[in-house]
Amino acid sequence: MTKRNDTGPDGERLGAPPPACASRRSLLKLGAATGMASLGAVAPIAARAAETDDTKTAHQSQPFFGVHQSGIVTPEPAAATMVAFDVLAQNRPDMERLLRTLTERISFLMVGGPVPARDPLLPAADSGLLGPVVVPDNLTVTVALGASMFDGRFGLAHLKPKHLVRMSQFPNDALDDRICHGDMLIQFCANREETVIHALRDIIKNTPDLLTVRWKIDGFLPADTVRELGKETVRNLLGFKDGTANLAASDDELMNRHVWVQPGADEPAWTAGGSYQVVRIIRNLVEHWDRTPLNEQQQIFGRYKMNGAPLGEKHEHDVPDYADDPKGLRIPLTAHIRRANPRTPETQSSLILRRPYNFSKGASSNGQLDMGLIFVCFQSNLAAGFLTVQDRLNGEALEEYIKPIGGGYFFVLPGVPKLDRFLGDTLLSA
Amino acid sequence: MSTCRALHRTLMALTAGGGLLGLLPAPALAAEAAPVNVTVTDKGCAPNSLTVAAGKSTFAIKNASQRALEWEILDGVMVVEERENILPGFTQKLSATLSAGRYQMTCGLLNNPKGQLIVQATAASAPPGPVSAVDLAGPLAEYKLYVLREVEALVIGTQAFVAAIKANDLAKAQALYAPTRVHYERIEPVAELFSDLDKAIDSRADDYEKRENDPGFVGFHKIEKFLFIDKSTAAAQDTADRLMHDVNELHSRIENLTIPAGKMVGGAADLIEEVAATKITGEEDRYSHTDLWDFQANIDGAQKIYTLLRPLEAKRNPDFVKRVDDNFQDVDVILAKYKSGDGFQTYDKVTESDRRAMKGPITTLAEDLSTLRGQLGLE
Repeated sequence: MTKRNDTGPDGERLGAPPPACASRRSLLKLGAATGMASLGAVAPIAARAAETDDTKTAHQSQPFFGVHQSGIVTPEPAAATMVAFDVLAQNRPDMERLLRTLTERISFLMVGGPVPARDPLLPAADSGLLGPVVVPDNLTVTVALGASMFDGRFGLAHLKPKHLVRMSQFPNDALDDRICHGDMLIQFCANREETVIHALRDIIKNTPDLLTVRWKIDGFLPADTVRELGKETVRNLLGFKDGTANLAASDDELMNRHVWVQPGADEPAWTAGGSYQVVRIIRNLVEHWDRTPLNEQQQIFGRYKMNGAPLGEKHEHDVPDYADDPKGLRIPLTAHIRRANPRTPETQSSLILRRPYNFSKGASSNGQLDMGLIFVCFQSNLAAGFLTVQDRLNGEALEEYIKPIGGGYFFVLPGVPKLDRFLGDTLLSA
Repeated sequence: MSTCRALHRTLMALTAGGGLLGLLPAPALAAEAAPVNVTVTDKGCAPNSLTVAAGKSTFAIKNASQRALEWEILDGVMVVEERENILPGFTQKLSATLSAGRYQMTCGLLNNPKGQLIVQATAASAPPGPVSAVDLAGPLAEYKLYVLREVEALVIGTQAFVAAIKANDLAKAQALYAPTRVHYERIEPVAELFSDLDKAIDSRADDYEKRENDPGFVGFHKIEKFLFIDKSTAAAQDTADRLMHDVNELHSRIENLTIPAGKMVGGAADLIEEVAATKITGEEDRYSHTDLWDFQANIDGAQKIYTLLRPLEAKRNPDFVKRVDDNFQDVDVILAKYKSGDGFQTYDKVTESDRRAMKGPITTLAEDLSTLRGQLGLE
């Protein structure tokens, strides 16, 4: 709890409706109550109301400067967008300009401040989504590179992180090339979706000749949560608690072992302080799932749906005793939690830090909902981490109800330790 | 869990024998139960309250009163059974088959108090309780035969289909594509137990990152693309060989398969889920537009399972049975509009309003049939 206060209290908002909804709703109510004819007349009042609601959380911020980028072990706020870009830069100087521009924009956006005024005959300096003064709103913008950045274009091939590869198809995947891979992934997280969108549009506006969007997906968590990884769990769209056995992101020693590439690791030296990031867009077949008997759902996950306890246990954080259940009578051998984390000494090396979001996009042509999980995880070794976990998950009982359709593998650049440095400078100078 | 395992064990034992229906144990003949004695005096019945088990009971009525006796079992004012003219000093027997409930006995003179007859439910007489392994053994055995017949028809159909491709007879290969597939679509939930083969036989281009050009994309739909888009049998040769091999492999695996009861019962819902997810959009057979064949085959497969289980359900949940019957019929009526010869028109002929009209019954069937396993007590 104290840790939570450090990053900004959200207790005031617990149980209250999400702020974005509240402001829209109060806007409607105001309009109805006062019988105002013109929306234009209502909007300023609603905007002021929204500002008061969010004042406290709007000024929460995460550090930009540090050995590691923010957005990995920092608490997981309610809104996120993952955007993969194709890099348009064609040479090293343009590449450096891109990384310097990103550093400059992100370091501003994560701290906030007034938007410079411009001649109104010209387009404004930013989208105006956050008004005249940009608030940090817990924003993190995390930059990672895909394997394709290490092709011939920039002469970086010999510096490719050892395990970085293009994501390939697993047996249950139905990957759609239009939402896979990319030269660069930028992960935006903030308390409010508007803040995420503001940051994304700012970066697009500042890199017109350097980046082009390849794909994008928006994610959400309950609006009243700023989730501390490894401590709090929310439900995924299948209705099950997700992340109960996640690594505690506040444990530096644990993070150094499982998340951050260490100096002296069997990797190019520039990668120290970075991390492998996996993004998997996993559609949940929710209509079918909602027609599945509860017992079967619980056997598929290996947990009770309501309280999240492992089957045969009482509490969410009780540790399942697989040694005592070798045949899977209590928790089936095909259950998700058992495959994902068998909890043996040999499988310790495959532990990963998960940081997922839910997504909900619309409907398919069959009238079924297009929603699911943006699975995101970080690890110091892609092969020992996610790839090993996914190999164990192949054939799990859950596969009937989920379809991985997109995403990719990326390498999160080390952090920017101080002012005169920029994102990826150790890569370019290596 | 333990009931489930016991059930599986029983079923495996039953299915292992081969000649399944003949093995069902005949209900043991119940020994004739001892008669229940009741004595009627001038004052009433002794004892004045009797409790018997539901089913057949025999009463021995001794007339210890001064006058001839008429002894009746009453349900309210209705006479359920009676024995007339029992003379004083005589005992007569009355056999009655009674269902559970509270009855009354007449006890001589009309102003004598009536006796109570309580008939208790028993396992045999109760309204249908949980379904037992024995109840499911018959449907399961029949379903296994159905699956075997379909997979055999799939092998024979695939042989002809592949032969037409080998003979470079494009028109014949195109004509055989849809009728061959129906045998797979009818038993899809069983075939999907072998996910490697399901992927090799029936996956679609969307299952692969490079879609049509992905080297992993093989099976019926790959051949469908060669035959209907590229109009080429030459290109399909290798894929046809692979298909024949995979279908033969499926056949041999299914021959040796014990179908779990839950898989059979759940299969009805799985087939409807298939329809709801991919058939109603016409995306399954996007090159040939023969979706209605698959659509009908999924419905056939679901209906087969349902029909085998329907007698068990009809006793337990008549409303459910009526709703499912009606929805299957609604779908059948719409599908029948598009019949053409032995098969169907192409899916693009199905009107928007008919596609919409099928969604209600299909979704309701998916909801209803998803409860079938639970209703039959299966995990």
